[in-house]
Amino acid sequence: MEIIAFVNNKGGVGKTTCSKLMAEYLSKTMNLRTLCIDFDPQCNFSHQYLRMEIDPAAPEGLMPPIHPDYDPADPDDQDWDGRSSIAEIFYGQGVVPYPTYVPNLDIAPGHAEKLLTAESVRRSEVVDKVHKQLANFLNSSDVHAAYDAVVIDTAPSKGPLTISVMKAATHIIIPSVMEEQPVQGIYGMLQLWMQESLIREKNRPLQLIGILPNMFKQTRLHKDILTSLQESSAIGKYVLPVKFSQRIVFAEVDAADSNPRSIFDFQEQHVAKTEAMEVCSYIAERIFA
Amino acid sequence: MSKKKRFGISEALTRGLSETINVVENNSGVFRNIVLPLSRIELDPDNPRKLAIDLADVRAGIRPDDPHYLRKQEELDKLKELAHTIKTSGVINPVVVYKLGETYRIVAGERRCLASILAGKQEIEARVFNEKPKGFELKLIQWVENTAREDLTLDERLGNVREIIREYLLQHGDVEVTATLLKNITGLSLSQTTYYLAALNAPDDVQMEIHNGNIRNLDKAALIASVASPDLRRQAIDACINGSSLKEIRSIISQQKMLKKSRVSLQASTRGRNTTRINMGSTLKAEVIKTIVESVVNRKEFDKYMDIFSQVNWMDLRQTSKAFRKLIEIMETEMAV
Repeated sequence: MEIIAFVNNKGGVGKTTCSKLMAEYLSKTMNLRTLCIDFDPQCNFSHQYLRMEIDPAAPEGLMPPIHPDYDPADPDDQDWDGRSSIAEIFYGQGVVPYPTYVPNLDIAPGHAEKLLTAESVRRSEVVDKVHKQLANFLNSSDVHAAYDAVVIDTAPSKGPLTISVMKAATHIIIPSVMEEQPVQGIYGMLQLWMQESLIREKNRPLQLIGILPNMFKQTRLHKDILTSLQESSAIGKYVLPVKFSQRIVFAEVDAADSNPRSIFDFQEQHVAKTEAMEVCSYIAERIFA
Repeated sequence: MSKKKRFGISEALTRGLSETINVVENNSGVFRNIVLPLSRIELDPDNPRKLAIDLADVRAGIRPDDPHYLRKQEELDKLKELAHTIKTSGVINPVVVYKLGETYRIVAGERRCLASILAGKQEIEARVFNEKPKGFELKLIQWVENTAREDLTLDERLGNVREIIREYLLQHGDVEVTATLLKNITGLSLSQTTYYLAALNAPDDVQMEIHNGNIRNLDKAALIASVASPDLRRQAIDACINGSSLKEIRSIISQQKMLKKSRVSLQASTRGRNTTRINMGSTLKAEVIKTIVESVVNRKEFDKYMDIFSQVNWMDLRQTSKAFRKLIEIMETEMAV
């Protein structure tokens, strides 16, 4: 089971869009049993597949809807409120992934309030537990038996949530817009990658697939910054040879009532589909070949 | 129209990104520094240990019927000194361990671990290898750790170097171990490695004295080892045992060598300009000049000059120089006749 995470502590660089495309590529095109994990308290990834609900306890936060398998009459579900997010791992409760409209694709959604609580812990012994919790969950035999791939969308932060993703992941990809601030976000992620790499066992390294130029526009700014990254001897080999262009259609399919719902359901020659196929197949090749 | 603007990432950011990548590429999976519970640490039975005392002795006390009771007690007293400093300022350098199942085995830092237990510590900072370092690396780490210690005897240090060389040869085949090669392996200075090699290849008598603790200094060992003549070597060894300094031993050796050499020949090079006068050389010892002057004026044909030199203060180098020049002048005058 490969655990792929999209990370960058700068927001708005397209982590969710990349996660979604990758998850759909793996499940739709490669027929891999794929689990999406939304580790961002903003819950945008979850919202792609589920009708997230407003949390009455925290009006600004979202929480997962009632699980389709929840049956209040079933004695097994007696102690369950019918909602399950990935944040349950911090509360000692089971995670029940939700099916999506894509066969083979499940999601363990976020829960704003609970994820924010985990992100805000500062006491060292608790932080340590938070750091290890996602890895513990994903290493469990149940998860290994149920899925071939896991795709994690992360919060734009360097805090406990992102660190726990670093500890759990087998591969990370850093999407970035080719502009100064998002590139600084790459630095933050490389720092976490370094910290994690130095304490990992040799036989399960955290592999940096690379920096994925995202929302690329043929402007001097984007081209110059991409070139300067590519030309640096150390960084250059981690700049992926593929990229996502700035296309409104990537945002359009995110809308709740869009049709088709996935880029991969577009007709063959569609420029956005061609590009998504090229990027995702390159990354999948690197991970699964 | 102004020139088109060029964009790029800042130099600082480029450097930061590159450095981070290099650190990962060069170090991932090699080692990690963590804080370990001392209860998970065990001594490595495969390592040649110089300490008699072990974990059980430190945890439960030395049994009175232990055959090595006295030696262990002595070691324990030394460990207590270290434990005292650990109590106040902690362990400064992390120990080196490798992971073996659920426990960690010590590569370097036995004394620090034992003393930490004595100091009542629960944890110790350690650099963890994910697997047991290969023979050569292991020896090298232990060596590097050991060179920082002052309580090792010359014999033990030589033993370390011998082990490193042996492991190196095992790994790289039969190559000639030169001082330069040893320098590259150990990171010691060339003069140090030259001394080590000289001491390692020393004749048996020197080796024995090193082993018995009579020669305790590397420089002296190397110097004495370089003496080919067994008799002279014996003299040098005796001088060393009697506490002569390196300088003194060197002068004994060069004195004897000179005697031997001068008997053979005093051939001078024939290169360069023709020599038209004799250079008298120089000396720091006024005593030498005094001896020359006295032996000349004690001869019958020169004794009339004795008074000239009777007032010379032989402690004063300037006066002595002047006196020597005067002597040469007198002799030239006398002999010109």
